[in-house]
Amino acid sequence: MLTKRQNLVEVMKGGNPDRFVKQYEAFALMMKTPITRLKPPVGGSIVNEWGVTLSWPEGQLGSFPVHDKEHIVIKDITKWRDYVKAPNLDYPDEAWATAVADANAVDRNDQYVTVFVAPGLFEHVHYLMSMEEALMAYYEEPEAMHELIDYLVDFELRLAKEFIKHLHPDAVFHHDDWGSQINSFISPAMFEEFFEPAYKKIYGYYKENGVELIIHHSDSYAANLVPSMIEMGIDIWQGVMNTNNIPELIKQYGEKITFMGGIHSGLVDFPTWTPEIVAEYVEKTCQENGKLHFIPSQTSGLPIDSFPGVYETINKEIDKMSEKLF
Amino acid sequence: MSKIEEVKAKVEAGKSKLVPGLVQEALDEGSAPGEILQAMVDSMGVVGEKFSSGEIFVPEMLIAAKAMSKGVEVLKPLMAGDGSASLGTCVIGTVAGDLHDIGKNLVSMMIESAGFDMVDLGVDVPADTFVQAVKDNTNVKLVACSGLLTTTMPALKEAVQTIKAAYPDMKVIVGGAPVTPEYAAEVGADGYAPDAGSAAVKAKELATA
Repeated sequence: MLTKRQNLVEVMKGGNPDRFVKQYEAFALMMKTPITRLKPPVGGSIVNEWGVTLSWPEGQLGSFPVHDKEHIVIKDITKWRDYVKAPNLDYPDEAWATAVADANAVDRNDQYVTVFVAPGLFEHVHYLMSMEEALMAYYEEPEAMHELIDYLVDFELRLAKEFIKHLHPDAVFHHDDWGSQINSFISPAMFEEFFEPAYKKIYGYYKENGVELIIHHSDSYAANLVPSMIEMGIDIWQGVMNTNNIPELIKQYGEKITFMGGIHSGLVDFPTWTPEIVAEYVEKTCQENGKLHFIPSQTSGLPIDSFPGVYETINKEIDKMSEKLF
Repeated sequence: MSKIEEVKAKVEAGKSKLVPGLVQEALDEGSAPGEILQAMVDSMGVVGEKFSSGEIFVPEMLIAAKAMSKGVEVLKPLMAGDGSASLGTCVIGTVAGDLHDIGKNLVSMMIESAGFDMVDLGVDVPADTFVQAVKDNTNVKLVACSGLLTTTMPALKEAVQTIKAAYPDMKVIVGGAPVTPEYAAEVGADGYAPDAGSAAVKAKELATA
């Protein structure tokens, strides 16, 4: 029997996996580093390292940046340098002790030591200035937007350097939502101008420094951005929704990128979920998308559920499909 | 190209710095304010169609709407009290328990561009607040309710049914990622739209029916 990591490699290269990869099983996520971004507690709010106020109201499935006039960080994009200051990344070795111990505890033959980065560049920009202002600024103030993105890239490269220095990760799991369920937020041409070169630098740096696998999360439609994803060096697109034609994507791009998702979290992870509903969607995605270049997974971007039991039930159902189809 | 045609083209291209001057030039040439406004509404109709078909994306729609609003600022003093220019008032909000505002804001912008006066209640709006807004505002022709989460679908249903119980003839349109035409019909809404461009078309259709 292949290890989780070996099995994932077989899926990616179109070889001979002996079962489906079960969602995030091959990734040991390192979440307790001193440079992991702050998140508000459920029912609370924080001002994060960049000055962005984030709120997680009770009963919501995630946190939101607060974008009223008082809280918005960048009040004028042409003067972004007056408002944006990257946080400190220099921490003593002691601050890394827990993360180093976590990484050392991982059997790297079985799993990838995986560092986690969120939010990514696109989200970071709209956290700082609101979605509407950011999207208009790509047209109205492109130079300032390029400068701001360059500044964020520089920060991400320093972040990567720290991760690599302390943990020698095998993989990076990087979040950045690039679309809604039905389309990308920006055109492929705009994406190619602003984000492709930026991510190429970041992901290239990880790869040049021994990180084997780039996993990018965008739980959205983004089929039109797949050529850019490949160019950036993404190995696995996590979060691929059914609004993308996944079988067609696998056929067209599977040799270059693996697709992870197909089980829309909104359809299985809700208050009145049942194991039968989960089973139906897992079977559908495994049957439709096949064994190679595809990892059945919930689309949400972490191995957790909003309503207890869903994540593990998906795993059990994937096991059943492995028994049935392998 | 006539000035009005130029206004149309520049609104569609999202040239917000150029549109106010062109609107003024069109007025100076003798075009009626209502005619210029209609030209801009037509432009936004084209923008909405292109968005719905995937030809353009959110930034292009946003800058077009911004360009139109800059043009409307020039026309407003000349059209004060001219109710014929409006399709009526549309009350909009994201339903209780749901804090997503981006989609709702885009829909609001596009419905406004189609010729409605908007009353935006924001996010996390209880069903009763929609009813109160209909009561508090004049000439309300339409209520638009948004819900992005499967978990807030019951709140969407409650909003539609509460509005309909208080105002049986009020037109209600719903939208949001998990909403389908079938669900919209099931909860008693009059209309559904899958995106902001279609929402404007549907809003106009319902209000003028």
